[in-house]
Amino acid sequence: MNCPLEIRENAQVLLDYGTRKLDEERTAILGRHIEICPACQEFAAGQRALWEALDSWEADPVSQDFDRRLYRRIEQEVSWWDLLVRPFRPLMVRNLMGQNQMVRRGLPAAAAACLLVMAGVLIELPVGSSLPLPQRDTAQMESVQPEQVEQALDAMEMLSEFSHHVRNDGQESKL
Amino acid sequence: MVERVKNDMGGAAAALDFDAELMLRVKEGDGASFGVLLEKYRSSVIHFLYRMIQNHAVAEELAQEVFLRVYRSRSTYEPTAKFTTWLFRIATHLALNSLRDGKNERSQERLDDDSKDKPVRQVSDRRPSVEQSMVYQAKLDEIRRAIAALPEKQRAAVLMHKYEEMEYSQIAKVLACSESAVKSLLFRAYETLRARLAHMA
Repeated sequence: MNCPLEIRENAQVLLDYGTRKLDEERTAILGRHIEICPACQEFAAGQRALWEALDSWEADPVSQDFDRRLYRRIEQEVSWWDLLVRPFRPLMVRNLMGQNQMVRRGLPAAAAACLLVMAGVLIELPVGSSLPLPQRDTAQMESVQPEQVEQALDAMEMLSEFSHHVRNDGQESKL
Repeated sequence: MVERVKNDMGGAAAALDFDAELMLRVKEGDGASFGVLLEKYRSSVIHFLYRMIQNHAVAEELAQEVFLRVYRSRSTYEPTAKFTTWLFRIATHLALNSLRDGKNERSQERLDDDSKDKPVRQVSDRRPSVEQSMVYQAKLDEIRRAIAALPEKQRAAVLMHKYEEMEYSQIAKVLACSESAVKSLLFRAYETLRARLAHMA
């Protein structure tokens, strides 16, 4: 066989050989080649030593409160949604039951007002403006601003869908 | 649901992706399935991020963000690829962003700080001598520095290949490049590492 090191694209078979990812037939062929090829012998020995060295790098154990912190963040997100949707919940229920025409007419206005408030929040807090940044070394710094923007955009999207849905309902009821 | 995963993902290998099935259950409101996925991949994701960023606190914070994004995306999740491909794509994206934002500009200092602050990892079950511990720490520091010195994409590719034992095709999907590009990245990365760590052999 041709030396795999002669063609760069084929050289990864030597990596696969070292990690035993090759099938039996190819392993045997390459094994025979390595026996007679000093360059491949050197490569294989070097790679074996490297993998042994990398094996010694064990990662630190995960913090015991990792899950608790994650679930708390998830819970906070859920609470945030709950807080946002709570004022509309009775209206939505009544709307679905078709009991209150006045409320049904008021819903698009309420949704529009909420959208305006959200837009106001976004204008007040442009990305990277007045928010005090946490210490650079703290682990909190990653997600604060993108998360806020993402949540606000999600909220706007939801309210827009909601408003659209309510508008459609209103048109249907007129018909 | 299994049938749905099979249909959505196409290949036979994808059909075996039980994780995608779990994620579809999360989509349908099954919180316990999210717990199973978290249990299964918590360590892999944190360790991958730790080796990328080389700061334990930041790695855990980024891992929290990864799982939070997985949870947030549950309603729009479609099993178009292996779950782990998607998971590590999020993790890699966050790690690369973090590195590019310069949040780890003092990573070199942190390497030193980390080794000072943490208890010395034991080499074996038997208590190592002070000398053995020092040799081990020195070796570890060299490995960490060699990995940290790799270009970001090469680093990510090596970590996924070596520690997560991912296939070239999967690494390619995570890094959004071709399989041959991954092979080339890995070949160059291992070449650099072999040269840097040759004296350890």
